[in-house]
Amino acid sequence: MERWQFVTIILLLYLLVTLWIGLRAGRKASKSVTGYVAGDRAFGLLLMYFIFGATMFSAFAFLGGPGWAYSRGAAAFYILCYGVLGMTPWYWVGPRAARVGRAYGYVTQAQLLVGRFPSRVLSALMASLTVLAFIPYITLQMRGAGIVIEAVTEGHIPLWLGAGLAYGIVLVYVLTSGVSAVGWTNTFQGIFMLVIAWTLGLYLPMRLYGGVGAMFQEIAARRPELLTVPGLTASGEAWSWGGYSTAILISAIGVSMWPHLFMKAFAAKDDRTIRRTVVLFPTFQLFLIPVFIIGFAGVLFPESPPDPDFILPFLILRSELPALMVGLFCAGALSASMSTGDALLHAGASVAVEDGVRPFHGLDDGQQRRLMRALVVAMGAVAYFFALYEGVSLVVLLLSSYGIIAQFTPPLLAALYWRRATTAGVMSGLLAGTAVTLFFFFQSHLRPMDLHEGILGLLVHVPVLVVVSLLTRDGNPERAAAFLRAAADPAEAEI
Amino acid sequence: MSKRGVRWLACLFFLLFTAAVTWPGMIPFNRIEPTVLGLPFSMAWIALWIILSFVVLLLVDRVEERGGKDGG
Repeated sequence: MERWQFVTIILLLYLLVTLWIGLRAGRKASKSVTGYVAGDRAFGLLLMYFIFGATMFSAFAFLGGPGWAYSRGAAAFYILCYGVLGMTPWYWVGPRAARVGRAYGYVTQAQLLVGRFPSRVLSALMASLTVLAFIPYITLQMRGAGIVIEAVTEGHIPLWLGAGLAYGIVLVYVLTSGVSAVGWTNTFQGIFMLVIAWTLGLYLPMRLYGGVGAMFQEIAARRPELLTVPGLTASGEAWSWGGYSTAILISAIGVSMWPHLFMKAFAAKDDRTIRRTVVLFPTFQLFLIPVFIIGFAGVLFPESPPDPDFILPFLILRSELPALMVGLFCAGALSASMSTGDALLHAGASVAVEDGVRPFHGLDDGQQRRLMRALVVAMGAVAYFFALYEGVSLVVLLLSSYGIIAQFTPPLLAALYWRRATTAGVMSGLLAGTAVTLFFFFQSHLRPMDLHEGILGLLVHVPVLVVVSLLTRDGNPERAAAFLRAAADPAEAEI
Repeated sequence: MSKRGVRWLACLFFLLFTAAVTWPGMIPFNRIEPTVLGLPFSMAWIALWIILSFVVLLLVDRVEERGGKDGG
């Protein structure tokens, strides 16, 4: 049997196991919207840990991460910094959001926001921004899967077929089992990713340089500019401190606002589970270290891949690893892509129906679930269409969508913590912030000190929110009071 | 330690973390030597903050949970 055939068999086995886990997961969930979107609010610590871990470390971690370390050096370290910084506030914010969710029956972010600030326009705006930020993100995941499969099967399975196959399976389990499938497959895929990343991160430098220390010594001697922050830009010049620092800030502010992560507050079994997930999160974050080591291992490699994002499969194929390892690696990279892609498809469709359609058209429970499934397919199809065309670097696209998502932070914090915030204030803040972000995204040469466009957006967003809120009043002050009472921790109410 | 105390401490710690990995706080530690477990110092410096975060979060969690049980 030829090598690529053996690799393909391992891959198919992996896909079958994932499918089996995904289909099994849905058997217990109730046939309701809460069951499909929020897993009947019954997710325990194991599921939550891997959902957060595996969803955050998407195709971006296995392809984009090594790609950045390889081509831009220490610039990639920003990815290492923001995860823990962004997740920590969630220790307090997460349970607060979950309590409101339980009290009022919310399953999405926009429902929470609209519960405090009644406005259908706000709901539709959140839904559109979510879908807008999700489509490129899902596209990246699909391309990632296709790239890996095409590379390791030596082109016998082309990108379109590989991406189609992997995401066909994702569609089947997301359609049948909803968020429970996302949770259980992410757990399996998360463990897989961790093992593969650490194994390769230690093995590749050993094989190519004789050890991790020896590898960095050689890079320090020949390409020292790669080992200190802020590293390089995509075109190989020195990156700016302003760009590097605000990339950390915007990602830290935005990361917990990604709807597919935020919504999991509503899926958690209890507050305790959310808190423990945050406490354990740094342990998952360290997994980026081997990922970067893999990228650095390619720096002094004599040949270079056609695109930095290909560095990992490129190295794998040229370091004469046993076919079994190649197959397992490929499955690991697919895990990374699929564990994020499934969460995105599921959350995107849920948000579009719950926040974009339902406020305008009454739907019963069954109609909602049918419409969500239809939208899962539709979003998948759109992303697949884009995935077949050449795109920009994986990380660049993702970093730009953070600018939009980070604009969800001020309104959500205002909803949960600030009694005086008003609907008018939140709406004008969100519109102003998004407009500024988009303006500087398209006119990037106008950004002062190379600051990230999302940070510039927030600099306008927050003052607008505060000032307009203080100048206006909401019609029903009792609504805000009741909302904040539901958010408060019952254990602390007695103090 | 009281809940309020531990929240201030956590807030202070994570502000320090942010300052230590961005401009200008990162500059003194932004170097290759000495390497730590083979990693360049810049990378090990960030990893150190992640590990410290884990410790701080464990501490926060102990205090918060105890507070949750006895109401204070």
